[in-house]
Amino acid sequence: MVTTTELKEKIILGLDLEDLSVDEIADDMPLFGDDGLGLDSVDAIEITLILEKEFGVKVKNVEESANIFATPETLVKYINENK
Amino acid sequence: MKIYDMDKKCYIEVQKIDNASSKIEQLSDALYCFENGIFSIIYDKSQPFLVEYIKSLDQSILHQEDMQFLYFTSGTTGTPTGVYKKRENSLKQSDALLKTIKDGKFNRVVTTVPFVHIYGVDIGAIVPMQLDIDIWVKENFLPEELAIEAEKEGTLIVTTPVFIKALNRIKKDVKFSKSLFLTSTSPLPLEDAIEFHKHYNCSVMQLFASTETGLMGYRKDNEEILTAYDGVLIGEKDGMLNISSDLVTSRILSKGVIKNVEQPFQTEDIVEIYKEGKFKLLGRSSNLIKIAGKRISTQQIETIIESIDEIDAVLIKVRRDDRALKDEILDIYVESKINLESKKLRSLFKSYFGSINIAYKIHNNIKVTRSSVGKKIGFKEI
Repeated sequence: MVTTTELKEKIILGLDLEDLSVDEIADDMPLFGDDGLGLDSVDAIEITLILEKEFGVKVKNVEESANIFATPETLVKYINENK
Repeated sequence: MKIYDMDKKCYIEVQKIDNASSKIEQLSDALYCFENGIFSIIYDKSQPFLVEYIKSLDQSILHQEDMQFLYFTSGTTGTPTGVYKKRENSLKQSDALLKTIKDGKFNRVVTTVPFVHIYGVDIGAIVPMQLDIDIWVKENFLPEELAIEAEKEGTLIVTTPVFIKALNRIKKDVKFSKSLFLTSTSPLPLEDAIEFHKHYNCSVMQLFASTETGLMGYRKDNEEILTAYDGVLIGEKDGMLNISSDLVTSRILSKGVIKNVEQPFQTEDIVEIYKEGKFKLLGRSSNLIKIAGKRISTQQIETIIESIDEIDAVLIKVRRDDRALKDEILDIYVESKINLESKKLRSLFKSYFGSINIAYKIHNNIKVTRSSVGKKIGFKEI
């Protein structure tokens, strides 16, 4: 089982968010948009590559990704269901 | 030519849309204005700083009768610059590009770029209009989705280096033999272009352009040297490229004042020039970074951070990582009475640039060193 901590570590490393720590990213924090981590469209592409490389999980379309990429919690749920 | 909305899976009408915000609305509106000769101001409305800046300008001078579009880009000094373009600029640019891809047979264009700058509008919209082929658009693409579209015969893909690098990393077991990728030249390392060509058996053509000059040159696949487009005359002054062509803007709006532009137009690109319109790009003299298709000057970012009360001085250096999708990372050196916290900086960036996530590393406890005339020249740790 992948944990949210493992995922956050990969995201911090993969997106060069060097100034953020795992503790600063809440499990239910929105990854995109004004109220959360504030990631952008290039980060979304990077996260799909991280999921594939680190966890062997593919996200095939954007429609699917909107729900999956909502928060660290939803991402981990998707990884564990599709690993 | 029709617009196909890939999200809604239907064709949409070319129409006037005031305050167009989505990619499909921006495209529809830009094409309507172009087809009907209606002057339009094109800029990225998701950047609060840019929206406020344009609002602050004397609106009565913005509209220029003989112009088609006014594009706003981040100027090298941190103040946005308005660049006027005539209808003829776009049409001649389209002709110049089409001459270089005349061997391909295309039945549609798929574009991943937004229509808030000249690359999106001229290459992603006006080129397909000239070819009379459909434009397929989606608000956001994932590499897997783009791969599916690129596999289809006769597809011209208008994209950025981000997607070329991403496709290289997923190494999908497919070929794009009967398609062509066009990409903007925010740097796509040569090895990425070669790897892409080899793995997908597909050509990638990098277009070298700027808002002020329009298209300047191109290179394909394993070529390191750029070739100037037909009708584009290249020269150099102090090692920096200058351009004369029908594609160069004739008027700009700088600090609220409209100015005529003389040719040759002096760029800030450092080049080596060879015979017969060939040249090599060695770098840029200005500190502009490009993030998610948006160009921002490091000087502007320094000014924004220095607006925080306790911050005395900021120096930014750009670190490159060619393998990363976001290949420019900012090292931010801060001279301050307090430590600049990442959280505060993130929220500051959000208020100026909207939904762009800038990659950075903060270095606190720094003394910014200056030259005798006050120019920031370096830093030392305290």
